[in-house]
Amino acid sequence: MSGNLASASLAAGPALLQAQGLHKSFGGVRAVQDISLAVPAGAIFAVIGPNGAGKSTLLNLLSGTYQPNAGTLAFAGRGLVGMPAHKRVRLGIARTFQKIRLFKQLTLLENVLAGFHIHHDVPAWQYFLPAGAFWRDFRRCREEARALLDFVGLADEAQKRAGALPYGRQRMLEIARAMATRPKLLMLDEPAAGLNAAEVALLLDRLQQIRARGITVIVVEHNMDLVMNVADRVFVMDHGEYLFEGAPREVQANPRVIAAYLGGEFA
Amino acid sequence: MAPRWPWILVAVAVIALLPHLLGTPYWRGILVICAMNVMLALSLNLILGYTGQLNLGQSGFFAVGAYVTTVLVKSFGWGFWPAALAAVAAAGTLGLLLALFAVRLRGHYLAIASLGFAVITYQVLVNWESMTEGVRGIYAIRPPPPIRIDGLVDISFSSPMMLFYLVAGIALLVYLALDNVVRSPIGETLRAIREDEVSAASLGIDAARWKAFAFGLGAAVAGLAGCFYPSFVGTLVPGAFNIVESFTMLAMVIVGGLGTMIGPVIGAVVLTFLPELLRGVGELRLLVYGLALTLVVLFMPGGLVQAWQLLRARFAGGRP
Repeated sequence: MSGNLASASLAAGPALLQAQGLHKSFGGVRAVQDISLAVPAGAIFAVIGPNGAGKSTLLNLLSGTYQPNAGTLAFAGRGLVGMPAHKRVRLGIARTFQKIRLFKQLTLLENVLAGFHIHHDVPAWQYFLPAGAFWRDFRRCREEARALLDFVGLADEAQKRAGALPYGRQRMLEIARAMATRPKLLMLDEPAAGLNAAEVALLLDRLQQIRARGITVIVVEHNMDLVMNVADRVFVMDHGEYLFEGAPREVQANPRVIAAYLGGEFA
Repeated sequence: MAPRWPWILVAVAVIALLPHLLGTPYWRGILVICAMNVMLALSLNLILGYTGQLNLGQSGFFAVGAYVTTVLVKSFGWGFWPAALAAVAAAGTLGLLLALFAVRLRGHYLAIASLGFAVITYQVLVNWESMTEGVRGIYAIRPPPPIRIDGLVDISFSSPMMLFYLVAGIALLVYLALDNVVRSPIGETLRAIREDEVSAASLGIDAARWKAFAFGLGAAVAGLAGCFYPSFVGTLVPGAFNIVESFTMLAMVIVGGLGTMIGPVIGAVVLTFLPELLRGVGELRLLVYGLALTLVVLFMPGGLVQAWQLLRARFAGGRP
């Protein structure tokens, strides 16, 4: 597959995101222990593992929702530890949430428009008294927002309330909203959870298009079909710890990964 | 978006006609109070309705606007307009500081902290007698100075009618400016924070900063309303800024329609005039506020705006 070809060249490329020895505990529970990883630029990097493996916690550490207890984290050479989530977005890090966090009372269009927050170029007074620059920004954002809604197949529902959308479409809307920040790195937390087969197919296609646009993707996912089809690298966690990393084919064949998923007696 | 100018013309016409429809000085005085209440409701709505911060201290900012203006004019010999500007800046700065202090507080905790601010402000007004005259009050406060341009304009604000035109005109400008803000990307940002702060942060929104912005701007507008209060009444006593006033503003915003621009205006008008109409029955004002608030929260959480939308939908749906 093209994905595997890409991974061969990408693996040698520079890392966009690099973590060394990340730790995160909640009370006595060690959710993430000594995780080190390097996400190559331009790749789709999947993080998999059984429930409770610490995948979402890891993503929250990368996005800045949580701060690590120990370890280092760098994005394009810049240290991230201590930097709050909203500042990381300005560096080009965007994310979606496992438990969908849309602005439910707002329309689809308004949800995506909120994603342009860091990209408005309007003199402050024009927010009170709109003039040329305001209206240029206004039109540009709406055009771009509609294009993003179109990209995830929601162009016809722009004026609906986000909370009124079916579950699978809410997930796609979250992707469109995250894309509005114009990320270099897009992190998706279980984007296929709750999606039907047709929706998964659309997601898979869009993930490939996102990669083709030069955006690096980290995807935490349970849907193995999706991961094996789209990922360039797969990082496996279990009990908060590193288990294995490699190309999808290597992961599928690895006895430790199979054991983690199916239980010890198959090892 | 739909053009606004027809509505602006309607608003200007209504403002122009109102003092002629309500011809007695008493009712014209109520109109001035109404215009101030509109500004207060708009200011609280920006903080509560659009940004989701439960602020019960708005009467404190109203008081700061009133007292800073009056003290600067009476004790320091400032002109009215520079004093008003300073008062707006003072109220806005206090709002910013309170917001930054309360940035980690939400819901009940922010409500208690902001209520505390209003209580402290009230106590300062009562006890700082060398500056505020305490409960004795400040008397003989003059209206804003006339605007004179030789041979062209000569507008005096000594009559309730002209004072109403001034305050209502400013309230209209405040409405338009805030309407622009909430329709702009700033409005998108504030609503995003109201809906979900974690999610807003994932889009690069610094919630603390924008909550402080809304708080500061709302406080400044409340201070602006306060500037005109003493020159209308002629006297200034702390009792006018009792914390109960914060709840009347809250009632106006919620009864009218939280998080809409026109709702708080309607709420302010209804809850200014309704108690006046029921005045014969005794001290009913607070009862009216309490009852209106309870009924709306129980049966129509979107306020009068929602009631209107439901009626219109039923009417439109009923037609063949």
